[in-house]
Amino acid sequence: MFIRFMKIWVGGAILIALFVCGVGAPWLAPHDPQAQTLEDRLKPPRWMDSGSPAYLLGTDNLGRDMLSRIIYGSQISLLVGTATVILAGFIGCALGAAAGYFGSTTDEIVSKISEIFLAFPFLLIAIAIMAFLGQGLFNLIFALMLSRWVQYCRVVRGEVLSLKERDFVTAAKALGGRDFYVLLRHVVPNTFSSITVIATFAMAVVIISEASLSFLGLGVPAHIATWGSMLSEGRSYINRAPWLTIFPGMAIFITVFGINLLGDGLRDIFDPKLRRQR
Amino acid sequence: MANETGGITRRDFLKQGAALGAGALVGPYIARAAFAASRDRVTIYHSSVADSIHPYNHSSSPIYGNWQHVIEPLVEFDTTKKDFVGVLAESWEFEGKRWVFKLRKGVKFHSGAPLTSRDVVFSVDKMRDTKGGSLQAPNFKDVTEMQTPDDQTVIFVTKQPIATFLDRVENRFVVSKEAAEKAGDPWYRNLVGSGPYKLVSYQRGGNMVFTRHDDYWGGKAAIKEVVFRKVTEDAARLAALESGQADFINNVPIHEVARLKRHPRVRIDQIEGLRMFFLTMNVGFKPFDNKLVRQAVNYSIDAPSIVKNIFDGIGYPVNGPVGPNVIGADPKLKRYPYDPKKAKELLTQAGYPDGCDVQFYYSAGRYPKDREVCQVIAAQMVKGGFRVELISQEWALFWGRDGVNGGKLPFYYIGRGSLTDADTLYDQYFRTGTTKRCNYSNPEFDKLILEQQKTPETKKRVALLQQAGKILMEEVPFVPLYNLADIYGAAKNLTWKKRPDERILGSDMGIK
Repeated sequence: MFIRFMKIWVGGAILIALFVCGVGAPWLAPHDPQAQTLEDRLKPPRWMDSGSPAYLLGTDNLGRDMLSRIIYGSQISLLVGTATVILAGFIGCALGAAAGYFGSTTDEIVSKISEIFLAFPFLLIAIAIMAFLGQGLFNLIFALMLSRWVQYCRVVRGEVLSLKERDFVTAAKALGGRDFYVLLRHVVPNTFSSITVIATFAMAVVIISEASLSFLGLGVPAHIATWGSMLSEGRSYINRAPWLTIFPGMAIFITVFGINLLGDGLRDIFDPKLRRQR
Repeated sequence: MANETGGITRRDFLKQGAALGAGALVGPYIARAAFAASRDRVTIYHSSVADSIHPYNHSSSPIYGNWQHVIEPLVEFDTTKKDFVGVLAESWEFEGKRWVFKLRKGVKFHSGAPLTSRDVVFSVDKMRDTKGGSLQAPNFKDVTEMQTPDDQTVIFVTKQPIATFLDRVENRFVVSKEAAEKAGDPWYRNLVGSGPYKLVSYQRGGNMVFTRHDDYWGGKAAIKEVVFRKVTEDAARLAALESGQADFINNVPIHEVARLKRHPRVRIDQIEGLRMFFLTMNVGFKPFDNKLVRQAVNYSIDAPSIVKNIFDGIGYPVNGPVGPNVIGADPKLKRYPYDPKKAKELLTQAGYPDGCDVQFYYSAGRYPKDREVCQVIAAQMVKGGFRVELISQEWALFWGRDGVNGGKLPFYYIGRGSLTDADTLYDQYFRTGTTKRCNYSNPEFDKLILEQQKTPETKKRVALLQQAGKILMEEVPFVPLYNLADIYGAAKNLTWKKRPDERILGSDMGIK
């Protein structure tokens, strides 16, 4: 049982750890992530020579505690990841379901719009929107959502197209079910397994995108600790103080690895093709 | 060359292997040769390069250095002699409300046409054309008339006597009127000057190429081609220098200096800079209209700690409104001590017992470690009772008509380069109406500035500037911070005249 669901166990454990970090940040972090102690700048991690016992992972270029910043940074990753995935999922599913179910003009319009969005590289849209709106957490979520809903839309539309031909849908309609009711009660619930898989993968991509945008200086304002902005600020010190980039880099890597693992495990379970192979 | 199975034949494998081996042997030598700077071309990676092809669409020391390759000023400040020397002007005379410049004989433009007084007047007219995009107009606001009695003489008539006029014309570069008129619209499309280099190309975003003008009146330069590239990222400039891609870079990060001093092909040059860094509070915005708030900001910022910790002590905090080496400095003035408690008290007195919100602007990548400095300043201000929103803008936006020069920014981090005389700073930032950068207005202060500008004797002028400085320190429309050392990195065999005015000129360079 454990072996079979190992991907889910490990991925899930990492995701839970991330949630614990994010939610419990005020209790877990040993220092205020914004507190600068200029006299203690660029202290190496505790286990290195001249490391300080007060700072487990060392301090950054302004004497802020690296560990606390990474813990608080998980809040942003988590918030942006979850909010974007939910919002984009909602919009994408609604539009996709409508397009697939009603077909004709509705389908035409939704498909064309999503094709326009698909024509641009995902990060490019996000950069353009951020450059237009300016820095900020909500702008960031909005930008990522706008560039992320299409994936849901395409998949849900495809699924709904095949589902609506099935007998149980015809039966529901024959019993007098209204379109809205049939769609919500009988069609959409059947797409949930695909949506779950897309959502996990999307979350990983969104977390990386947030880090990329923050790295480029287009994410949240400079003083808020995020993994991407920590990498960005630390990279000019990569020769003198490599821990400024290694730890946030590892945080991003582990998080994205965990989420991808979870998504992969879920797909193994939900995907009928893969199930048959085993 | 691939055979039918899609692999490679034995012969091909041997050939390619041999080529690879030869490359591995020769490669390091080629690479080493590439590291040395060459007489044919010097590549300079700089954090600020002209943002526009309009030669007067800026007012910034390093960018004056860009244009000075092509077009030249009447006079220039020689930082070693500590006095003005003539470039296109041979001599000059201060006659009350008139400044008379005699042009150098035998100066020719790249087109072959001789320099005349009409070219000077044409250029100044373009500098005064604010609508046409010039940011240099304030330098001539007191000039009522320009006269050209003959080809070699230009007379500037001013509203009142201005003893410090040379300071304002030192960076005003002269273009060829004939060539500009021929170019049509815009006039700077075909820029012809008299400088040691000709402009080959300009690309938006800061990529400039100059090639030597062999018939330069001052003698042929040693370097044939000079390339400027704008790279705002410290690490990218440094990597380019270390790999031999760039021969010269500015703003070497301080924390890398020790390592680079051991580098076999790189030399580090450290020069005490003329640039003073400060924070401007635009008094046209709330809460900076209130003197107590401005004083509170001064009390809440610990500049000595920034110099010591962020800049590893390479520089010094400024006591009073300007640094100690500037004409008009007052050794008796002291900066506001770091005292966040006092700052909070003042804020309460000013009617902000719960603190107040400020938006703090800067342009990341422009100045050494600006991102870090501004974060530290913001954190220090929070301790002083402010709530700070830190906003970074791209330089052209930050500095332009929607930013500093349009009076649109309430509070910002800035450096004034080539600061040798307090008059420059006081007139440009704090005298009523010169620029919109601060919107400060104080008739008493204006009077002192006008008075000293009329005074040719330095001693009297310094006394007046000191009085003006005292007013500034009481009213503090700004927070004077520090002067830093300019740190340049160069290929070891590249020589240049170290200049404290941030100008990097191909004509100053040579190859050892």
